[in-house]
Amino acid sequence: MTAQVAAYAIRFARGEFTLNEEVPRFTEHELAQARMGNPQALTALVRAHQRSVYSLALRMLGLKDLAEDLAQDVFMQLNRNLQSIESSAHLAFWLRKVTAFKAIDQLRRRRRLPTTPLDEEMHLCSDANVGDPLLHRHLERLLEELSPPARAVLLLRYQEDLDPTEIARTLEMPINTVKSHLKRSLQLMRQKTPGALVARPEDQST
Amino acid sequence: MSQDLESQLRTALRPIAPSAALEKKLIASVTEKPAFAPQTGRFLRRGARSRAGWLSIGAAACLLIAVGMQHRLRERDERANGLEARRQVVEALRMTSQKLDLAYEIVKSQSTALDDGNPGA
Amino acid sequence: MRHRGINMRHANIVMLLALLTPAMAWAAPNPRLVLPDFTALAHRATQAVTITLDSSLLSLAGRFLDGNDPQDAAAKEVIKGLQGIYVRSYTFEQDLAFSEADIDAVRKQLAAPGWSRLVETHSKKTHANVDIYIMVDNKQAIGLAVIASEPRQFTIVNIVGAIDLEKLHKLEGQFGVPKLDIDAAKTPH
Repeated sequence: MTAQVAAYAIRFARGEFTLNEEVPRFTEHELAQARMGNPQALTALVRAHQRSVYSLALRMLGLKDLAEDLAQDVFMQLNRNLQSIESSAHLAFWLRKVTAFKAIDQLRRRRRLPTTPLDEEMHLCSDANVGDPLLHRHLERLLEELSPPARAVLLLRYQEDLDPTEIARTLEMPINTVKSHLKRSLQLMRQKTPGALVARPEDQST
Repeated sequence: MSQDLESQLRTALRPIAPSAALEKKLIASVTEKPAFAPQTGRFLRRGARSRAGWLSIGAAACLLIAVGMQHRLRERDERANGLEARRQVVEALRMTSQKLDLAYEIVKSQSTALDDGNPGA
Repeated sequence: MRHRGINMRHANIVMLLALLTPAMAWAAPNPRLVLPDFTALAHRATQAVTITLDSSLLSLAGRFLDGNDPQDAAAKEVIKGLQGIYVRSYTFEQDLAFSEADIDAVRKQLAAPGWSRLVETHSKKTHANVDIYIMVDNKQAIGLAVIASEPRQFTIVNIVGAIDLEKLHKLEGQFGVPKLDIDAAKTPH
């Protein structure tokens, strides 16, 4: 654990990752300005939400090129629909929903080419230089084995920190289905994750 | 262990910042005027005849948009499939090359062992 | 008289060839292996790789391989003239999580006429086995099969079409696959 903390400190000092707190907030006032076409407000909008949209796209699709295309697509669609966005909360909801739906749709159309995890590609997916990179890579590989809807549920839960009710609303899915996806996905991950890679509670000395 | 796995998932799935180049493209996506932005006030004061004319132009425009979008969707699908196929080719060849190399190493170590008078390697 | 004799022999030969030709065509070597359904194994594996690329997908891939990138250019060279690439690879958490019987259905096909075993290797140190088979027609390789098994992984590769083995082996540097160290090969996946 001491070694992990030291590694964390070194990487932070090198600027190899940014904390979530560094994501700029986007206010209601800025949204109103963005709706009127104010370029600074629109830029702030992108900067506030691009990580969420891009990460969701990348972890759903597994390919950087496609994730970039999808992210652009989402923001272009937002451009056309900005007038219908009522609040900054609605904006966040809308972006997650559209990104998830577009990704699921693309994966379904791509189904005839079964995707296989590629060490090099999955390494690009992880910006998480905190913690155990081996375990993180393993977890991201397992993520690829989930069905598109299950993958979306897991990402909305653990990347976006939504609760099951919010996930159900975002994906237009019954809440029991969301809970079932979460339960089965975690079970699968537990089964396929070697015990040595996940620290036991007694090993954590914080 | 469930809690540890969940906290590891949260850490592993922290959002990733896109590249500066992508950020630029995303900003361009929202700041460029959309091609068919709704212009709500413009047609409301026209007469019925000219409204019908505009409607047929609108219908033609919608058809063009639909055809264009379909073409774009098809292109995007093909690109997605092509990139995925490329990735799989690269992975398949990498794995094959790796296994050929493994065979080579085994043969090499066996012939080295034989040279050293130790056939059991 | 002699003339009639030759005609009869000629006719007999023609008839024999006519009878044999369909049989010969029927027995023409097919480098494409029928790979078993490994679903049950995939569920137990910590990593499963399934690649199925027929000629249309290879052609599509070729259009997206960048000739200016050394890795892509090398891959593009190799897949020229190929009709298919098929890979199944499974990695497990424990040793001996699969049995040789799982791979036997593939080995049986490789015992059929047309296939020749090029290399059979076994390492007592690492318990790794690699068998390489080739199918040749008209002095050209038209099929390749590789079966590699290690304690926690097995891999089957089937390449269909005109393969240049030298180009394939040279790819190793392109993909950053280092020369394997025997001790490193012991490390579990």
